[in-house]
Amino acid sequence: MRYRALSGIKVVDLTHFIAGPYATKLLADFGATVIKVEPPAGEGGRRIGPFRPETPHADHGGIFAYLNSNKLGVTLDLKHPRGRELIRGLLRDADLMVENFAPGTLARLGLEPYELLETFPRLSIVSISNFGQDGAERGAILNDLTLFARGGWTFPVGERDREPLTPPGSLAQYIGGLYGAVGAMQAVLARDLTSHRGQHVDISLLEATVATMIYETVAFQYNGILRKRAGRRFAVGPFMIVTLKCRDGYAGLHCVTDKQFMGLCDLMQRPDLKTDDRFNTALKRMANNDALLEIAAGFFLEHDRDWLYREGQARAIPLAPIVSVAEVLEWEQTRARGYFETIDDPALGRIRIPGAPLRLHSHPPEPTRPAPLLGEHNSSVLGARLGLGADELRSLARAGVIAEA
Amino acid sequence: MATVFDRKIRVLDLSMGWAGPLVGQMLAEMGAEVIKVEDTHYFDWWRGSLSMAAPEAQPIERASTFNTANRGKLGVTLDLLNPRGIELVKRLAAHADILIENYSAGVMERFGLSYEILAPLNPRLIMISMPSFGYGGPETYSRGYGNTLEAMAGVTGLVRYHDSEQPYTLSNALGDPVGGLTGTFGILAAFYEREKTGRGQWIELAQVEGVIPMMAGQILEYQLTGQAPLPRGNRHPDFAPHGIFRCGTGSESEEAWIALAAASDDQWRALARVLGLARLESDPRFSDPKSRKRNEDALDAEIGRALAALAIDEAVARLSAAGVYAAHVNSAPAVLGDSQLQERGYFVPVERAVVGTHLYPGAVARMSATPAAQGAPAPLLGEHNAQVFRGLLGMTEAELAELESAGVIGSAPRDYRKAS
Repeated sequence: MRYRALSGIKVVDLTHFIAGPYATKLLADFGATVIKVEPPAGEGGRRIGPFRPETPHADHGGIFAYLNSNKLGVTLDLKHPRGRELIRGLLRDADLMVENFAPGTLARLGLEPYELLETFPRLSIVSISNFGQDGAERGAILNDLTLFARGGWTFPVGERDREPLTPPGSLAQYIGGLYGAVGAMQAVLARDLTSHRGQHVDISLLEATVATMIYETVAFQYNGILRKRAGRRFAVGPFMIVTLKCRDGYAGLHCVTDKQFMGLCDLMQRPDLKTDDRFNTALKRMANNDALLEIAAGFFLEHDRDWLYREGQARAIPLAPIVSVAEVLEWEQTRARGYFETIDDPALGRIRIPGAPLRLHSHPPEPTRPAPLLGEHNSSVLGARLGLGADELRSLARAGVIAEA
Repeated sequence: MATVFDRKIRVLDLSMGWAGPLVGQMLAEMGAEVIKVEDTHYFDWWRGSLSMAAPEAQPIERASTFNTANRGKLGVTLDLLNPRGIELVKRLAAHADILIENYSAGVMERFGLSYEILAPLNPRLIMISMPSFGYGGPETYSRGYGNTLEAMAGVTGLVRYHDSEQPYTLSNALGDPVGGLTGTFGILAAFYEREKTGRGQWIELAQVEGVIPMMAGQILEYQLTGQAPLPRGNRHPDFAPHGIFRCGTGSESEEAWIALAAASDDQWRALARVLGLARLESDPRFSDPKSRKRNEDALDAEIGRALAALAIDEAVARLSAAGVYAAHVNSAPAVLGDSQLQERGYFVPVERAVVGTHLYPGAVARMSATPAAQGAPAPLLGEHNAQVFRGLLGMTEAELAELESAGVIGSAPRDYRKAS
C-alpha cells in the first residue's frame, strides 16, 4: 500500500541491507519520493535472499523485494568523480539523505555530512550505524546475535540452567529503521516549523536496542533485582506471562491483573482458586507462582491451542496461539483486513508482502510498486532530473558509473 | 537550542501501558506539550496495583515502567465514567493537535470520544487509535499485549533452543515498543500532511500489523521455498560457529556469557587463533563453512572448552580486535555500564518525586539542530490538574474544588474499579 501523506518529500536513499532500507521503506509507503542509489553492482541486500530454489541468482531476493518496494532505483558509482557529481545533482532538491554506512564512509566518498548541510541548506541527513557516529567503537562490527546480546534483550531469555537464548531474525535492525524514519520526519518538521534548515540525525542501533528494553535498565536501578532467565516464564513476578504447551501446540498466556486471574480461574473451571489462600492477592500469586503455573500448565496440556485462545478471549484473558509465519500469512484476520498485498515482483513473480504498518484515513491508499531492478530508473530519474541524454547515459554505463541498462 | 516542536503543539495522551505512552513520551522529547489523562479509579495499569504496598508508601508512584514511559508529560485526572469527565476531555481535545489512545477497539466509542465526535470540535485534530488487531476483521475485539502480539506475529514460535520444542517469549514485550515507534511515525506523517492541507485525521494502528513487517524475511522464505523457517536457537542457518558460550574459570560470575560468530573463513581462522584452537584450522571437519556447519556440535564443544579458560572481558576484547563478531551477553547493570553507551552519554539522569534520581534511556535520534528535551520526570497522579485546567480551560479555584469534591478530578488513587 502507498499513502499520500508525505508526497512532496524527496529522499536520496544510500542505504543497504535492512535497517536503512526499512527506514526509507516507511517514508516511501507513506508517499515520499525515494530514489534508491546503489553501486553499479547493486547493494548487498539484493543477495541476502530468500530466493526461489529454481532462480538462486535472481536480480534480488525476498527481503530486498519487500524493503525496497515503492522506491525508484538508480545506480551510481560514488567512488567515480562523475558519480559524485551526479549525486550532488540529486541532492540539490532533496529533503533527506538516508545512509547506513560505517561512520566515516560518507566523508571518504566526498560527501562529508556537514559540508553537504552547508551546501544544501534544506537537506537533512539521517545516519544509522552500529554504535553511532562517535565513541571509541564507532567503527566496530556487529551482527544480529551480538546486537541483541549487547543491548540486553538476550540475557533474560531461556532456561535457568542453560545458555541465554537469542531473539530470532533481525528484529533490532527493523527497530533501528523505525527510529530512522521517526528521526527523518523530525528533521523535516523541525526545518519547516523551527530551525528553517536541515540537520544531521545520528542513530545508533545499539541505543535503539537498549531503548526498547526499558524493563531491565531502569527497573534494576529501582529495585536492584537482576531479572534472570525464568524458563517459559517472562519473569518471576506477581503475574503469569508464560508460554505453555497445549494438546496440539503452544500458547502464550498474559495473566497480570486480578480480573485476568479471575478469568483464568473461570476458563479452567476452578472457581475455588479465586478464594484459595495461596492465590487471592497479587503478592500471594508471586509467592506461589510455581503452584499456580503447575495448575495452568496441566490444564493447557489437555486442551487445544485455538480452543484456549477463543475461550480465553471470551473471558477477557489475553491468550495467544504461538503461530508459525505460515499461519500469519493464512490468518483470517490478515485476510479480512487485506493486510498482505500481492505484488508482481519482476524478479520473484507473485509474492505477498506485509502491508503498511498503520493506516491513514485521509486518502485511500494506492497499490504498492515493486522494488526496482538494478538501475531500473536510471534513464527516467537520472535522465529527467539531471537532464542527461541517452548518449550520456550510455557513456556513463560504459565508464562503469552506472549499471548497464 | 530549540526542539522540533518548540512547545508549539499540544498532545492529549489517554493511553496506558507502554505502546501508547511511548508515543507521548517521544513527542514530549520533540518539544510537544503532552497532557496525560488518567482516571483516579482506573489509572495507568503500568503504575502497578494499589495492593502491592501500603497507601502511604505511594506504590503507584514507584513503578519504573510508568516512570520511564511518561517522562516529560503533564498529568491530569478525569473520571471517564462520569459525563462531566468526558465533557472535559472534549474541551481539552478542542485545544489539542494530537490525541493518543490505546484502548481496546470500541472503548472510545462507548466513552463518546470517537474521532467522529471529536473531529467536528477540532478539524485539525490528529487522533491515533492503537487497538491490538485494528478495527475490522474477526479479531477486532480480541485483546493483546506486547507478548501476545509477538506470538501472533510469528516471532515467539521461532524463539527456541536448536534442540528443543519449547518456545520462549522475548524479554521486552516486543509489540509494545514497536507499536509506540510505529505510532510516533504515523503521527509525524499525519502532522506533515496537516501542514499541507490544514486538516487532521484518524490514524489506525493495529499493533500486530506493526510487528509482522519485522518477520518479512521469514514470511517470504515460506512463500519462495515452500518451507517455513525452522527455529535455530543461537545457531545460524548457514554457518558456524554462531552461539552463546560461558566464559571464565569460575572466578567470574556464572553468568559470564559471550555471544560470538565467525561468518567468513578469515573470521574463523582469527577465532581459532585467539582461542588457542589453531590446530583445528587444518582439521577437515572444520576446513570450510559447510563442514563447520555440518560438525557444529563438535565445533561448539571445542569452543566451549577454550572459552572456559578465558576471562570474558579478555575474550570479547581479543575476538573483537581480531575482527570476529563478539559481545558480552549484557545483563541490565552491564548495559548501564557499557563503555560505548557511556561515552555517548546515552542514559540521562532524571529526578522525580517519591523515587529520586535515576538514569533513563535517552532519545535515540540524536538531532544536531533540535536536540531532544529530556530531564523532566513522569507526573504524579493528577499533579498538574490545577495548572492545566486553570491555564488551558480558564477554570477558577472554586470550579476546581467543586470538580474535586464531585470526584471528577483528584490526586489520590481511589479503589481500583476492576475495569481492566
